[in-house]
Amino acid sequence: MPKVWTWTLIRYGGALAAGAFIGFLYGLPVLGALLVALGLLFWQMYNLYRLERWLATGKIRDIPDGDGVWPPVFAKIQFIKGKVKRRGKRFRKLLKDLRASTEAFPDGGVILNASHEIVNYNQAARLLLGLKNRSDRGQRIENLLRFPDFVDYLNNPGDRLAVDIPSPSTPETWLACRLIPYGPDQTLLLIRDVSQRVKIERVRRDFVANASHELRSPLTVIMGYLDALADDGRIPDTWHQPIRVMQDQSIRMRRLVEDLLQLSKLESGQSVPKDRVVDVAAILATARKEAFALPEHPEAIEIELNSPANLLGEETELQSVVSNLVSNAVRYTPADGEVTIRWTVDAEGGHLEVQDTGIGIADEDISRVTERFYRADGGRARQRGGTGLGLAIVKHALRRHDAELEIRSRLGEGSTFVCHFPRDRLALS
Amino acid sequence: MESESFSHHISRRFNAELEHLRSEVLRMGGLVEQHLDTAVEAIIAGDSDMGLRVSNDDHKINRLEVDIDEECRKLLATRMPAAADLRLIVMVIKTITDLERVGDEAAKIGYLASHLATDRERYAAYSELKALGEHVQEMLHDALDAFSRMDVDDALAVIEEDKLVDEEYDQITRQCISLMMEDPRTIRRFMDVTWVARALERIGDHAKNIAEYVVFLVHGRDIRHTERETVLQELEAARSDRSASS
Repeated sequence: MPKVWTWTLIRYGGALAAGAFIGFLYGLPVLGALLVALGLLFWQMYNLYRLERWLATGKIRDIPDGDGVWPPVFAKIQFIKGKVKRRGKRFRKLLKDLRASTEAFPDGGVILNASHEIVNYNQAARLLLGLKNRSDRGQRIENLLRFPDFVDYLNNPGDRLAVDIPSPSTPETWLACRLIPYGPDQTLLLIRDVSQRVKIERVRRDFVANASHELRSPLTVIMGYLDALADDGRIPDTWHQPIRVMQDQSIRMRRLVEDLLQLSKLESGQSVPKDRVVDVAAILATARKEAFALPEHPEAIEIELNSPANLLGEETELQSVVSNLVSNAVRYTPADGEVTIRWTVDAEGGHLEVQDTGIGIADEDISRVTERFYRADGGRARQRGGTGLGLAIVKHALRRHDAELEIRSRLGEGSTFVCHFPRDRLALS
Repeated sequence: MESESFSHHISRRFNAELEHLRSEVLRMGGLVEQHLDTAVEAIIAGDSDMGLRVSNDDHKINRLEVDIDEECRKLLATRMPAAADLRLIVMVIKTITDLERVGDEAAKIGYLASHLATDRERYAAYSELKALGEHVQEMLHDALDAFSRMDVDDALAVIEEDKLVDEEYDQITRQCISLMMEDPRTIRRFMDVTWVARALERIGDHAKNIAEYVVFLVHGRDIRHTERETVLQELEAARSDRSASS
């Protein structure tokens, strides 16, 4: 037991004994002890009263004085009180610094709860989204950001990292919105101003589209004259060969321009609506027919239709996906090889497979073959008459159908290109 | 948001249902806004594909209207709402009608855009059309914002804006008429332009209607007895306005 308690007990015991003794002198020892006990009780009450008052209103410094066990109690409370105050000050400062730094953040941040209600946001988000201070906390974010793209993303982020939407408050401004889930049921919505990037992308796309468009007219004229020259009997024989080469090359160039135009259209990236049914069997058959029309093709081009399901999307684009994959396969497969076009549906979705027994692709090239003009083996590919844009077109057209392209290949044994379509792109009748 | 007006229900499900209803209306609003934006851009850029896309996609908006209507009827039948809740549902039923008509007008603009795009000559007053289009887009956006925030001041501001839109529309019509008189060969094209301006002006009216419903929704709750006549008058005005237009 601490010394102060021992002393206090001894003192109180002494006081009681003294009270009893004085009472004993008057013949009433119990009354004497009782009076002293009452006095002690009031003294404790008084100290308790001062403690309560001090805690309720007093400053930390104005520590009440007392005797017995009270001073150490007061001192300890003073110590704790001081510590709490200092800690609160520190937290307040920390919070202030933290808030200041999030306010200074150039990107907007909005904290959303499980039902997408706005919990908090920073200054940048307020400006970018045009939020109002007084009423927008507690509001569902999709009630204010109503862009269908954004609402889709919010309800079903899937594997998309971000969506671009126009700013609701500032014209000509584009915002990339990204959802980052954290903590229990909370999501951080990160908003970045990407107007510059969107603008550059648009300029580039417009340039490619315009340039290819402008190239087309002179090319038509050149081809017209070449056709006329080829049929002209007065041209000496030595010129026939060069004219034919020029014709071939201008046809190639026209195909290139057409592919570029198509690619620039596909690049606009928006998802294709799911309101039209595309007959898969028909587009596979068309692709096969086109392949047989090529000057060199393997004898065996087979179609394996394992499901009656059809696709939802844009027919011309899906046709160009299949045609490009098939003509690619045909181009790299020898005459005694085999090309198989397969359509299967399972629990994950639809899979469109084009398999060949051609020359195959080296591992290090697989990730790059969908780049524009990328050639795994430059010279040979060009001889075979591709434009170098086919797989890029395939990739972009598939992206517009929420599908993915998988490439499996082994050098010398052949390649398999698989398009994976999600289930909601299937028309199961 | 758990708006004060309907967060007091004992049935939390009812709250959730009303919240969902509100979100659905705003989702439909978002789609309509997007259609309007695309349609106006198609006019300005002379992009016929874009215009046709809007006019072909109108069915999505119609589908949403039918769905929300169904939801309202279900809520009326099963919950038998009163006061603010009833007003909200009545307001939603009216709002979706207006939104659906905005969608129709946007589809019309998209269709006209595909017409106008085939014209090689560009209409001299496209900038006026653009200004009108942007003005109307802003009105619709603000009206829907006012609905989601239940903000009467914003709603009143939208109602005021409609006068300016009407003036802009008058100006474009006058300009078109004088251009048509100058050169009768352009009549066909300027008829189309007038139709576009007319459609935009109608969209402005629909946005105004929506703003008026917001005033009705909020005022009816706050100043129940004093403002009742005014609110009824406003309602009456909105109704006659709509019946005059259809």
